[in-house]
Amino acid sequence: MKRLLPFAIILVVLGSALGAAAWYMKRGSNAPGAAGAASGTDSAAARATVVNAGPGAQPPHFRGSADAAVVLEEFGDFECPPCGQLYPILKQIESEFGPRIKVIFREYPLTPNHAHALAAAKAAEAAGMQGKFFEMHDLIYENQAKWKTMFDVRPEYEGYAKKIGLDIERWKKDQTSDAVDQRIFLDGTRAHGLGVQGTPTVYLNGADVEFEKLMKIESLRDLINQALSKAGK
Amino acid sequence: MTEPAYEASSKRTIVVYSVAALVSLIGLADAIYLTVQHVTGQSVRCTITSGCEEVLSSPYATVGNIPLAFIGAIAYFTAFALATLAAFQYKLVGRLLTLQVLLMFLTTLWLLYLQAFVIHHFCQFCLLSALVTVTLTVLVSLANFNKKPA
Repeated sequence: MKRLLPFAIILVVLGSALGAAAWYMKRGSNAPGAAGAASGTDSAAARATVVNAGPGAQPPHFRGSADAAVVLEEFGDFECPPCGQLYPILKQIESEFGPRIKVIFREYPLTPNHAHALAAAKAAEAAGMQGKFFEMHDLIYENQAKWKTMFDVRPEYEGYAKKIGLDIERWKKDQTSDAVDQRIFLDGTRAHGLGVQGTPTVYLNGADVEFEKLMKIESLRDLINQALSKAGK
Repeated sequence: MTEPAYEASSKRTIVVYSVAALVSLIGLADAIYLTVQHVTGQSVRCTITSGCEEVLSSPYATVGNIPLAFIGAIAYFTAFALATLAAFQYKLVGRLLTLQVLLMFLTTLWLLYLQAFVIHHFCQFCLLSALVTVTLTVLVSLANFNKKPA
């Protein structure tokens, strides 16, 4: 009996470990807004959270066509490394699908974990006040590796503002305005309502896109094509 | 079936191996957590609470397509199994465990180096794993020290 006991203990631990992993995996996948949430399947839970969420900042910043049948809504943080990795993927997707899709960007700066995320969001939103949100958005993401280690990012962002031809004094003033704060707050409120747990989170026609599929252009392209076919486009 | 051959070892060694088995379980739980986080993509996303994203989204977090945390889970489970068998005084198992823990310790040193000097960020779950491995190394060394020559 004694010689079998250690093997019994080992088997029990193995079974418990596998069971715990399966349970945790299922729990992670079912959590609203969790990265593992099934994409493309508009479950009742997912729909309920979308209904309860606020509209976010209006009008939203978007590229593509305003009335496109397929809408991608990104919640992003300019300092978040995976958001920086997603940026060229979405850019490529936007150029491939053009007016057939609408790609919305919503602010979800993860402060205080990301020290410059809020400053970056404000810089981009203030550029948006002059109609150049995406010009600033692109420059901030393209130079993420450069500025994220800086102590003071303001001179760096000011360089981008000059580069895209903003009225610098107005841009500086707008960054501290209530209007900019309100936009970031409203996007954040929408994120909380949807149950966004991290960045980047992208909803494709209201369904959370699985992280693994989001970060690979081939799988993201397939999901968009499926959504377009479903919409008869 | 023959009776397992027992090594001449002290009661203290049995206690040390039992503690090592329990400590391995902490490492196993940590590694399972990180594996599931990796598979579901949660650890790779940025969140307010986690400071792990730089480490877990780095190229060092996977070996090929296999998450390093999964390899860690297998290593901790093996360490648990060997420590349990060693606590029940199975012959040669202690030596296998020593060899495995030595490999885990060297891997831990490499991963700590990567976090400190290459990625420049520390992940608390990876540090917990490092602490577990260091504890296992100490325990296994103690067990070897306590053993009477066979």
